[in-house]
Amino acid sequence: MGTGCVVPLYLIKLLSTKAPADPFFCIDTTMDEQACIRLAQEGDRAAFRVIFDGHRQRVFSLAYRYLRNQADAEDVLQDTFIKAYHALSLYRPDKGLNFSAWLTKICVNASIDALRKNRGKNLQPLEPEEVANMPAPSHSSDPEISTRNKEIREHVDRALSNLPPRQRMVFTLRHYQDFSIREIAESLDSTEGSVKKHLFRAVESLKKRLRRFVTEDGYEV
Amino acid sequence: MKCKEAKNLIILELYGELEESEKARLHSHLEQCRDCSGESALTKKVFAVLDEVEPAAVPSTDWDRTWDRVQAGIAGLPARRRPERASGWRWAFAGTGLVLVLVAGIFIGRYALSPSPEPIAVSAAVVAPAPNGIRPAFAAHLEDLKPILLDYAHYVPGEKSGRKISVDEEVLRGLILQNILLKRKLVEKDPAAADLLDDLDLILKEITNRGTQNSQAPARIRDLIEQRGVLFKMEIMKNL
Repeated sequence: MGTGCVVPLYLIKLLSTKAPADPFFCIDTTMDEQACIRLAQEGDRAAFRVIFDGHRQRVFSLAYRYLRNQADAEDVLQDTFIKAYHALSLYRPDKGLNFSAWLTKICVNASIDALRKNRGKNLQPLEPEEVANMPAPSHSSDPEISTRNKEIREHVDRALSNLPPRQRMVFTLRHYQDFSIREIAESLDSTEGSVKKHLFRAVESLKKRLRRFVTEDGYEV
Repeated sequence: MKCKEAKNLIILELYGELEESEKARLHSHLEQCRDCSGESALTKKVFAVLDEVEPAAVPSTDWDRTWDRVQAGIAGLPARRRPERASGWRWAFAGTGLVLVLVAGIFIGRYALSPSPEPIAVSAAVVAPAPNGIRPAFAAHLEDLKPILLDYAHYVPGEKSGRKISVDEEVLRGLILQNILLKRKLVEKDPAAADLLDDLDLILKEITNRGTQNSQAPARIRDLIEQRGVLFKMEIMKNL
């Protein structure tokens, strides 16, 4: 391979053989992820696009649930894949961490960084318009319930925005993304004990904020 | 069991993170402790509220635009981001600046400049000559690719006319190699041309990998040509 020019593996095969029967030859969505990763590690952008397509929704969803803002989540999605591409040579499947977990780790760190950066710039919680523009809950047809839910959501958002970044991440991963405590510890390079502590504190903060709504009528369990 | 521990176990139980033995310990404590029993009910209600108000769906986003930004970031170009929201005082500052510029413009126009009898001639921009002989080769390469790309660009799914796009494997192989060599030559001298060759590289790969076997492949390639504005860029670049 010439210096300064990364020629995709499949292309070398194409240029050197007449009838390639190797699975590397075909890059499409059916190609298995490990093969795509190997090609992307060689600098193949088409293979990296396949990886992007396979994981974008999960990464975006996590960033959005954490940051609760579409534009910030889009920035994190972008940063996650740029960082992943540059760090791809460091990814070793034989080390036991699957690619999805590896990517989640990058996304988690990018999201926490984004939150810290945004907090430095602006300490205010979500703007009321942003809260109003969030997708509505299922029963918004009843105006009374809808107004009440909007008020509760503002309290939830305020409570979440007051949590320290890691605490908020633990809560997001456990409550909204359904990660287990062990998976969260893995994503944050932390211990299960520490994750539990963050989770307890986050839930306690939310309980304090939402106490007045649950002691009113309407939320009987 | 102490109440503080029970409080924590209540949370873990709601998340399904409690083992059977711990669950039994917790429930035996809750039966005896009124405070913790109340705490358990409160936590359940808070969880119900959280689930109730949480939006079910994550909003949709433009994946292709994000991918373009990712590619720019990978290439070391500044990845475009959404413009940051300016705070109130920034808007005020910008507005004041605009007014000052307008006032200064009116003043200069009225008092400082005398009316010009002749319209001011605009000197034509001089296009720098091609750095070396690579340009004709680049233009010839674009000409070679054009008929293939036009075939895909005009592809209509389910067309009854039976027009089938076929590209000779040998020709395709030659074009890919040519594309790589040109890109290597132009990457430093002419980044815009190298960008176009990058797009062409992607399209040629799609044609190579998907071919005409897959019924959706031509449509995907057509969309790719359209999204990247490749034909338009080729028209512009071949004349430079």
